[in-house]
Amino acid sequence: MSAIPGNKGGAAAPHVELRRVTKRYGVVTAINDLTLTVEKGSFTALLGPSGCGKSTLLRMIAGLERISAGQCFLDGVDVTDVAPAKRRIAMVFQSYALYPHMTTRQNIAFSLSLAGASRKEQDERTHEVARILQLEDYLDRRPAELSGGQRQRVAIGRALVRHPEVFLFDEPLSNLDAKLRVQMRLELAKLHATLHATMIYVTHDQTEAMTLADKIVVLDRGRVAQVGSPLELYNRPANKFVAAFIGSPSMNFLPVGLTAVEGGIATVALPGGRTARVRVGGAPAKAVATAELGVRPEHLSLVVADDANAALRGEVAIVEHLGNLTLLYVDTPAGQVIVEGPGNVSVRSGDTVGLSLREANARLFGADGASL
Amino acid sequence: MLKSKRAEYFAAAVLMAPFVVIYGVLFVYPTIKMVELSFTNAPLIGPGKWVGLDNYWRLATERLFPTAVWNTIYFVLLSALPSTLLALVVALGVNRLKGWAQSVALAAFFLPYILPVSVVYRIWDWMFDANFGIAQYAIAPLDGGQHLSVFRTIPLFMPMVAVVTIWWLLGFNVLLFVSGLRNISTEIYEAAELDGASRWAQFKRITWPLIWPVTVLVLTIQLILQFKIFDQVYLFTQGGYRVDATMVMVQYIYREAFQLNKGGLAASASVVLFVLIAVMSVLQFQLLRARAQR
Amino acid sequence: MTDAALVSDAPPPAARPLVRLRQLDLFGAVVTLATLAGAVVWAFPLYWGLVTTFKPETEIVQPGVHLWPQNFTFENYAHVLMQTKIGLWYVNSLVTSGAVTVIVVVMAAAAGYAISQLEFPGRRVFWAMILASFMVPIPALIVNHFVLMSQFGWINTLQGVVAPQLIAPVTVIIYKQFFDSVPKDFREAAVMDGANDFQLLFRIYLPMNWGITTALAIITFIGAWNLFLWPFLAVSSEEKLNVAVGITQVHDAFGVQYGRDLAVAMLAALPVAIVYLIFQRRVTQAIMLSAGIKG
Repeated sequence: MSAIPGNKGGAAAPHVELRRVTKRYGVVTAINDLTLTVEKGSFTALLGPSGCGKSTLLRMIAGLERISAGQCFLDGVDVTDVAPAKRRIAMVFQSYALYPHMTTRQNIAFSLSLAGASRKEQDERTHEVARILQLEDYLDRRPAELSGGQRQRVAIGRALVRHPEVFLFDEPLSNLDAKLRVQMRLELAKLHATLHATMIYVTHDQTEAMTLADKIVVLDRGRVAQVGSPLELYNRPANKFVAAFIGSPSMNFLPVGLTAVEGGIATVALPGGRTARVRVGGAPAKAVATAELGVRPEHLSLVVADDANAALRGEVAIVEHLGNLTLLYVDTPAGQVIVEGPGNVSVRSGDTVGLSLREANARLFGADGASL
Repeated sequence: MLKSKRAEYFAAAVLMAPFVVIYGVLFVYPTIKMVELSFTNAPLIGPGKWVGLDNYWRLATERLFPTAVWNTIYFVLLSALPSTLLALVVALGVNRLKGWAQSVALAAFFLPYILPVSVVYRIWDWMFDANFGIAQYAIAPLDGGQHLSVFRTIPLFMPMVAVVTIWWLLGFNVLLFVSGLRNISTEIYEAAELDGASRWAQFKRITWPLIWPVTVLVLTIQLILQFKIFDQVYLFTQGGYRVDATMVMVQYIYREAFQLNKGGLAASASVVLFVLIAVMSVLQFQLLRARAQR
Repeated sequence: MTDAALVSDAPPPAARPLVRLRQLDLFGAVVTLATLAGAVVWAFPLYWGLVTTFKPETEIVQPGVHLWPQNFTFENYAHVLMQTKIGLWYVNSLVTSGAVTVIVVVMAAAAGYAISQLEFPGRRVFWAMILASFMVPIPALIVNHFVLMSQFGWINTLQGVVAPQLIAPVTVIIYKQFFDSVPKDFREAAVMDGANDFQLLFRIYLPMNWGITTALAIITFIGAWNLFLWPFLAVSSEEKLNVAVGITQVHDAFGVQYGRDLAVAMLAALPVAIVYLIFQRRVTQAIMLSAGIKG
């Protein structure tokens, strides 16, 4: 277990690093040659749909899953073969896994009692944690007598009392109802701000990831799709997967033909006859026959149907009034398109409208999904 | 999960040790020895000479062992089948009761099951006592005014012991049936009711098929259980003459080993018993598995 | 209007269920009565034996059926308690049944946990052996158990009575199944909290399954208390008998004394009857579990 420098650059060594890890279950490879780093004190979200491997990654960091190939480093130390209890990591389970036959107090103090801490120390640390999480009134209740939110706090408390180096969260909010979820999200954010501890958070809910995380790792079937801050991922998605996953309502994808690329600007032909000009980065794409133009609903606006500058025209199928904004589902030659408009839109279902798009915010995606 | 192999093996060793020791010494070893002993002419305690299949030959050709086997089978038939069917009938009745009435009824049927066999023996021996037993008031008119020592009357012996055994053990079966009946949702019956099914039709088409797995389970448990019978038969023939006529298999083993000091012969009878029960157990397992897959 | 279409030839629907309801009530009443009557009949032998113990011997041998003693007396019990060794037998039964219960439960919980949660060489073999051992009838082993106990010098001792009763594959199987059903999350959480396997067993798995332990302990105790065949073979002196065998050895110099014979039997049954009546639910649960194994 020698200390290996985390990275070669001058930046601070990552707190947690998975280096080229692979996870195999028999003949199935769930995760292949994946590398990711987590900085000290950051709130990193592992985001992706079911089956993308995010929980597996978390469990590998925890030591609950064996790593088939590759290494795991904690603070520069190779912990690939170290037992979970010795990694100074604590985990909050999706089901909380509170011991049903123990009271809140006993649940929280369990790890201390296993380690042989004195009664005095157990009590002190339990009370400290209970104070932070506002559990003081519930210390003598059993999990069955607690509400969902309280149970979650006890689960966090159980992790907190160990003063771990890293907190792992495995979809902790998915068992709560919507209102409670929002509340607990704020509490988690507050907790992070108070403790400045490294937190790794697994979720399939992009809203949670966007609101809580400093850095999001988007996972797609065992591979990293993109790593970046929430806004980076939102505004500059590297591929169609990330673009579609992040943002609600999700981005529209219009099939387009690539007619010309010149000086970093591509001209595309939209269904319905219009053209648009979009910035492309990196290696200029050759004249690929077809690509997809990604436009977020808020970057489309309603214009009069026969407006000459309209990129698309279509018939409004459904209008959803949300009060602060309106979502319109418009059938166009490019398929059904979602448009976000202000709250006081007076368009009705069946009306024909034109849509203009903000070319600056549109992105082109090639046939392989990568951003062009 | 990452675990230290050493710690795991150590924990496994410590935790399994008591079981392994007990199981090995008290189960595996005697079983092996039993087979070995069956091929010798040893007395109960002490060595003997190897005689090959001699003991088995004797079992097959002398009169007593086949009698014992037949008696055992006879007894099993007398007790297992009626016990199973009666328990189902009782369970159907008990299941309809509610609240404390059900608890009391269940307790009444079940209480005998937790009594020691010797207590059961005493109770029934008293009831049928030739001189003063209360049953004589029912028997005497049928016997031309005469009292009858039922347990000394050879043709009546097995049936009576079966009756006693059924009284003793019915509660166990009733419990299993009641639990099985409770698993059938009442909605099915209500639907059948609305469809116009008569009570008999409901039983035939709903209850019976759905309770069949439990019926098979109860029946096979009874079959295997009664094959090992000894206690009641021994107790009711205590101090009696002509024990041979009503001997059962375990009793035969007891006699050969502990009364006639023929360890090897007794062991061979044990092996036969073992094989018979093993075969029935396998059949039971297959039956239940086949049923479950249907 | 189309009311004509609403008219049908069937009798008004309301009438049919009502008739059925009445029939059902009658049927239900008959069944209920029959069941209760059956319960009374079933309980009668026990009642009759019990009531006889409270009659003086002179009344017992009189002709006529008296469902209640004409002269209620405790003299049978008094005699039995003082003149037989029932006190000794009680102690023997308590000691042997208690020992069997404790040893079996501890051994089975430990082994059940190990097979359920740990990986070690031979695990599958052990498990197959345990499942197979169902098929070996213990009465078939009496000869070799006797030989073995005499080799240890344990014939006519309490430990000799206890030893063969320690074979309990059913208990191990039940524990293993229950431990299997504990959600993995608890194990993982406890492992992350730093628990080793012993701590896991004693502080998580067993406490979460106390009900099972109680049920198994009770049923093991009752089985050991009631055991006849093995103690009958293994014990030759009256002082070492357990209660179940002891009552069959009661001989009176004056011939058969029905009241006393029954009184001593009732005393033998009393403890397990009390245990059952108090722990009915647990006993029921244990029986269902062990039958579930066989099925």
